[in-house]
Amino acid sequence: MSTNTIQKKTNRLTGKDLINVGIYSAIYFVIIMAIAMLGYIPIMMPMLCVVGPIIGGIPFMLFLTKVKKFGMILIMSVIMGILMALTGMGLYALPVAVVSALIAELVWKRANYSRAGSSILTCGFFNIWMWGNFIPLFTNPESYFSTRTEFGADYEAALTALLPGWMSPVLLICCFVCGMLGGLLGRSLLKKHFSKAGIA
Amino acid sequence: MASSILQTTGQKRGMILDPRTKLLLLVTVSIFVLGGLDGGKLPFMTPTLCVLPLVLFLTAGKIKSALICLVVFMGAYLAGGLLVPQLSGIPQFLLLGCAGIFSRVMPGVVMGIYVVSTTTVSEFTAAMQKLHVSEKIIIPLSVMFRFFPTVGEEFGAINAAMRMRGISLGGGRAGRMLEYRLVPLLTCSVKIGEELSAAALTRGLGGEVKRTNVCRIGFRIQDMILIALCAAAFAATALAYLGVL
Repeated sequence: MSTNTIQKKTNRLTGKDLINVGIYSAIYFVIIMAIAMLGYIPIMMPMLCVVGPIIGGIPFMLFLTKVKKFGMILIMSVIMGILMALTGMGLYALPVAVVSALIAELVWKRANYSRAGSSILTCGFFNIWMWGNFIPLFTNPESYFSTRTEFGADYEAALTALLPGWMSPVLLICCFVCGMLGGLLGRSLLKKHFSKAGIA
Repeated sequence: MASSILQTTGQKRGMILDPRTKLLLLVTVSIFVLGGLDGGKLPFMTPTLCVLPLVLFLTAGKIKSALICLVVFMGAYLAGGLLVPQLSGIPQFLLLGCAGIFSRVMPGVVMGIYVVSTTTVSEFTAAMQKLHVSEKIIIPLSVMFRFFPTVGEEFGAINAAMRMRGISLGGGRAGRMLEYRLVPLLTCSVKIGEELSAAALTRGLGGEVKRTNVCRIGFRIQDMILIALCAAAFAATALAYLGVL
């Protein structure tokens, strides 16, 4: 009886897990926001799908070492989606984040929350949420630029030339692949520093 | 320094708003100024909403913050309006980027700083509970709320230390910039996080029973006025899209 209740408790998310989600979401969000500022240079806009996942992979891989229950990645993604909506990036990131996080959760659950190869795959799937921010650029470019007229025609022309319709799936794959690269980078840093310091 | 801007102490707070009103204001400012909801149909809307955070800072008694924001914002606005049409090519892109960041993102950021700097974590939690948000979202969000200033402060300190060691853009060891900044940041954040969660658990966060809260939050006259203002902004936009205005 008593073992049963303990079992039930450990499968649920406790306060400590939720606090961990908050801490890593804060670090991740600060890093992503710092990178996103580069998007004001047109050539950097599609490059955000490369730089963001690679650098974001470092805190995310450390976060994964704390994830032992279903739902933590999902909550982090939902928070990212809410914050993207709050910072004016549009509502598209939220549904994309929910789907990508569910896939990431399932991959990580199947690996029993411990396998190294799967953690890199999980990192790749998680980072697909970033692609959601680019959806309005492809589905509705006119209205996207009508809200950003003060950036000037040069910016608009440069960005439209950089992002034709076929770039949409390319960016999606790019997020995934670079997310995995970020996972590898995070993994090597984890080995080099964090496990030595006893925090991973 | 950074912590003194962002952290809330209990005393001397000027006009107090309900956290829910503040969240509504934040959403309104970011939808209109950052997201450009009105689509340029209502030219007076964006400047009005940009002034709003400054007024709020004044009512909260943070005159210095209000002045800094005013100067930076005016500078960016003037640079974007007067200097950009004179230039072309790469300098224009760069200036446009800077001016664009400031005039578009600043109002939202200032509003965010206002919300974070005038709301205590308890008030925020109480407001979210009244909005019936799930605890699984409230706890991470309130931790983030508390944690942003810490991340900023730690990053500043690490930055200074690494500059001293010559690990910066001009220092000749630029290749190590990323690793030598992120790793210490993560390490100390994890340590702080562990202490934070121990502290939060002693205060009964994530317990079996429902938490009580001593913060009294509720809507007052100033809340009503600001909510009416937000409603007016949305109504005006709806009318503009219907072609009435």
